[in-house]
Amino acid sequence: MKLEGKYTYKASQQVVWDLFNNPRCLEKAIPGCKKLEERGPGKYDAILKIGIAAVRGMYSGKFEVLDPEPPNRYRLIGEGSGTPGLVKGDGIIEFSQEGDSTMLSYTGEVQVGGLIAGVGQRLISGIAKMMIKEFFRKMKTELKSLK
Amino acid sequence: MSNEDKGKWVGKGMKRKEDLRLLIGRGNFMDDIRLPNMKHAAILRSPYPHAWIRGMDVSEAEKLPGVRGILTGEDVEKMSKPFSVGVPVPPKYYACAVDKVRFVGEPVAVVVADDRYIAEDALDLIKVDYEPLPVVMDIEEATQPDSPILHDNIGSNIYSHRLFKYGNPEKAYEEADLVVKGKFLFPKYGSTPIETYAVIASYNPYNEEFVIYNNYQGPFVTHFLVALALGIPENKMRWIVPTDIGGGFGTKTGMYPYIALIALAAKKTGMTVKWLEDRREHLLASSTGTDRVTYMEAAVKKDGTILALKDKAIDNTGGYIRPPEPGCAYRSTGNHTGAYQIKDLDREVLVVGTNKCLTAPNRGYTCQELYFSVERLVDMAATELGLDPAEIRFKNFIQPGQFPYTTATGGLYDAGNYPKAFQMALDIIDYKKMREEQQKARKESKYIGIGFATVVDPSVTNIAYVTLALTPEQRAKERPKSGSGESVIVKMDPLGKVHVIASTNPQGQGHETVISQIVADELGIHPDDVTVSDVVDTHDRVYSITTGSYSSRFASVGTNAVVYATRKVKERMTKIAAHLLEANPNDLELKKGKFYVKGSPDRSISIRHVAGTAHWNQAALPEGMDAGLYASSFLSMPTSKPVDDLDRVDSSNTYGFVAEAIVLEVDIETGEVKFLKWASVHDSGTVLNPMLLEGQVMGSCIHALGGTLYEEFAYDENGQCLTASFQDYLVPTAMEVPKIDIGHVETASPLTALGSKGAGESSSMSVPVAIGNAIADALSPLGVTIDELPLSPNKIWHLIQEARAKKD
Amino acid sequence: MKPSAFEYFTPNTVEEAVGLLEKYEDEAKILAGGQSLVPIMNFRLGRPEVLIDINGIRDLDYIKEEGDDLLIGALTRQRDVELSPRVQEKCPILAEAVSFIGHVPIRNRGTIGGSLVHADPSSELTTVICCLDGEMKVVGPPGDRTLGPEEFFLTYLTTSLEPSEILVEVRIPTLPQNTGWSFVELSRRVSDFAIVGVATLLFMEDGGICKEARIALGGVAPTPIRAEEAEELLAGQKITDALIVKAGEEAAEIAEAEPDYHASAEYRKDMARVFVQRGLREALNKVRGGE
Repeated sequence: MKLEGKYTYKASQQVVWDLFNNPRCLEKAIPGCKKLEERGPGKYDAILKIGIAAVRGMYSGKFEVLDPEPPNRYRLIGEGSGTPGLVKGDGIIEFSQEGDSTMLSYTGEVQVGGLIAGVGQRLISGIAKMMIKEFFRKMKTELKSLK
Repeated sequence: MSNEDKGKWVGKGMKRKEDLRLLIGRGNFMDDIRLPNMKHAAILRSPYPHAWIRGMDVSEAEKLPGVRGILTGEDVEKMSKPFSVGVPVPPKYYACAVDKVRFVGEPVAVVVADDRYIAEDALDLIKVDYEPLPVVMDIEEATQPDSPILHDNIGSNIYSHRLFKYGNPEKAYEEADLVVKGKFLFPKYGSTPIETYAVIASYNPYNEEFVIYNNYQGPFVTHFLVALALGIPENKMRWIVPTDIGGGFGTKTGMYPYIALIALAAKKTGMTVKWLEDRREHLLASSTGTDRVTYMEAAVKKDGTILALKDKAIDNTGGYIRPPEPGCAYRSTGNHTGAYQIKDLDREVLVVGTNKCLTAPNRGYTCQELYFSVERLVDMAATELGLDPAEIRFKNFIQPGQFPYTTATGGLYDAGNYPKAFQMALDIIDYKKMREEQQKARKESKYIGIGFATVVDPSVTNIAYVTLALTPEQRAKERPKSGSGESVIVKMDPLGKVHVIASTNPQGQGHETVISQIVADELGIHPDDVTVSDVVDTHDRVYSITTGSYSSRFASVGTNAVVYATRKVKERMTKIAAHLLEANPNDLELKKGKFYVKGSPDRSISIRHVAGTAHWNQAALPEGMDAGLYASSFLSMPTSKPVDDLDRVDSSNTYGFVAEAIVLEVDIETGEVKFLKWASVHDSGTVLNPMLLEGQVMGSCIHALGGTLYEEFAYDENGQCLTASFQDYLVPTAMEVPKIDIGHVETASPLTALGSKGAGESSSMSVPVAIGNAIADALSPLGVTIDELPLSPNKIWHLIQEARAKKD
Repeated sequence: MKPSAFEYFTPNTVEEAVGLLEKYEDEAKILAGGQSLVPIMNFRLGRPEVLIDINGIRDLDYIKEEGDDLLIGALTRQRDVELSPRVQEKCPILAEAVSFIGHVPIRNRGTIGGSLVHADPSSELTTVICCLDGEMKVVGPPGDRTLGPEEFFLTYLTTSLEPSEILVEVRIPTLPQNTGWSFVELSRRVSDFAIVGVATLLFMEDGGICKEARIALGGVAPTPIRAEEAEELLAGQKITDALIVKAGEEAAEIAEAEPDYHASAEYRKDMARVFVQRGLREALNKVRGGE
């Protein structure tokens, strides 16, 4: 499924860029993230406990920042697999200064596979978008905590 | 037999003998079987549609208490061979993925444990290292040289490809006034029988013999092919099928890989292993009908005469191809021109692979795919020529006086009266009045449509058709194939009661009832005096490659075997009676349980006395006669011949007819369809049991209603199946079933003892296109055309929006 | 399709249940009718370690009247609500909405509380509660609290219940005389999850003026939503068909429809329009029939 959106963060572009490259902040903001470890520059291993209500599962995943152009854009790819199925994402995140704020826009595609795709397709699209929203919202909180 | 006894039971709506045990829960299905020390299997399945298996770690799973062993692809490769299939270059299709997975749900390992819970717990502990590959999901894309290739040994995704020409299509095109063309997409839907697949297997290492319980629809070709894959002779693999099977509809006639897979798990672990397919497994990975893309055109004269058909059809058997495929592309060869006198044909047939679940026959076995194109095209031709869709059909029908009729492709239609049956359907819906109502409704912006399908309903497959996958030159190098035989043994006990041993392996069709009716009529006894054992045990039944219940065989070839075996018993009884009465057998008649000497009513002997003599006083039998009282019949239909050098074949043996007439209304705001009238008229020869026939017709209508409006095995573009539960794979329920008026025309078949023909698939072939035609008719004022299924409200709504956008 | 192992408790009182929830929190799930939870567990989409079966708490099964309200215990079966003469008389829209849930055997087991707590955005009960402005009473270790639909339903399958809280009762206002109502929905088959479900209420004054209109939509957002702009359009007006057409268009505007295999986002959004219009016409017909 295709995803896109825009968020505004009240900080300079460099600060927002750093925020989105800070493993500690990402760990706190990624929904269900139990552990995020940097295994190389821009490469992360994660343990996620993702779930809505009773539908819940543990995933182990990998994220990687590709083609970084600080502080303007990077490509983020990730994949996770767990008992409920597979998740794979590929997106571009772009940052641009707008006055004293930074506009973040993302476009991407998420693929869901396995059990959850076969028996849970009805709500996948909505729930995926909701979780992404939650991530960007939590990053605002992280931004405040950095200040 | 005297006239008063004749036809006392056949033709009556006798209640099913099977029902009591089923209604009170005393049926005997696979899950009712409990064997000593039986362990339970669960199957690990691929979440990827296309990926290399780079490694597998089962060590954690093996440590789980209660786990008895794990079978992996590596074991399967060592212990068995790929299943054979009749295409020039077969893919390596093993019972489970060996080095690569090719569809979501493909088995990759089997865990055997003390119970199914533990087995499923263990699945979570197996680690598989997959390397995902690009997928190919689109049928036409699969034919392209640059598409991702599923099988390196084939080098393309084309499993089978043939060109056919019958008659002189070039000349027909010269004579034609008009060529009508269309591209049609038929979806992937299935049967979802209430009882899913199930296997219980054990292996005896001392005599190297497998005993396998399963619910397959017959030994058919699969017993032979599984033995071949396991590397054993057929007589070392005993199959036992329980008394009851909870539905098949073709799903259980494809190569059933789990029989081999669970047998291997049993062999490896040394346990008796039971596996019951759960519904998710069934929807992901059992067996579906093929989806098909068809380009078809018809060369037509101004008066509506259809001269020739030209088509290119591409079937999709998914990640692999397995028997009886590529039958999907060839099974309907004999009836390719349907109910019409079309002499000239040009065909191209392709069978391809994509990263989808595999296929097998699905009630109607691709006749619904065929007729969806043919019958849409007939309507499109009528529209272009300004003819009524009923009129163009009457114009082209094979006429009653033309039977037996040989089709351009070699089909031998045995009997029929198509105009009479179609007229009956028109009368039921009150066609003329409906057209008037349609006009009135349109003025009120209501969209009523009328749709027809008039199709030939083939029954009893002649296995010869599978060799159409080979060219005449390739075929010449092999031994010919043909046949359609079914076996029955009829025994009479010393008290004159009858037991029939059959191996048609019914899945709910009521064979026990019909066999009892037939035997009762033939011998002048009561159906309650007949018991039937109609299950397969390959060690104690007589069977062959063709044995089983598929392609609506029972009412034709099954009843033939029952009748002929019973008549042989009667002949022997008559000889014994004549001997005891010191009369000439020709002078005897059987009446009310006694043999009488004609003209001497005081000289008689009871059936019981005759039967008693055969068993208790064998010295009293005529000289040279066998002791006991039984006979068997195992005849193929005489018309089941090999494919000829011009690719002509009588691909089925008896050919019924279905006329569907449907009136419906489309809510153009929501895209929903409401049925107003539905007539389904059938000619399946002599009716054996009208109640059972009605059940089959209703079932086939609703099965097809599912494929037309509700059901589809849907995949996203990445190869994930979206419909792996009944929440999304929508089988119509009683709530979705409209009123259907069923009518019958009975034209007796000259090829069957009772004049009957198969009817179990019937409307599953005609309903999809009849509904499609009706919706197209309803929406014609909006400029909507229908060329694909299923027609969900969402789809119809989008078609309407697109047509409106085009108009604006 | 077998669930993974779980511990199983059968409390007989709400206090016991809350005690168990307090102990196991997130790891525990409450089993009421089991019509959503059991399939989730069988598919192993969910693997709760602890199951608290509340079917033994019999005093959560009731339908009572208190003043102008109906009080329904959380464990009351959906079928009992559907068939209750009291509900049919005092709040017929609720009985009607419940009749769209699954099939009869599902409603025989499924409970009012279970459906609300599951918070499926297509659920008939959540939609009708949202329309009726019902109140959810929940009990937790510190005591009880009462939540309206907007506070209770947060997003997909998520409510504001704390892990140690349990829903015990729903309070639903009865409908005054002269109220037009309807519950309409579009689903693939009878019993399927609604593509769109719409509950409408028209509180009428003498003279055929609509004092207040309420329109709730299910299936088109993460939670059931009220079409407030459309409601305002109708309030204080004599309702004409032109107004109904406009209200439908207005209501569809707020739909944040998501696509699934059965319905594209555009289709879902347009069906919100169509079913709001149909629902309003039906509601109006009902109240006119009563005039």
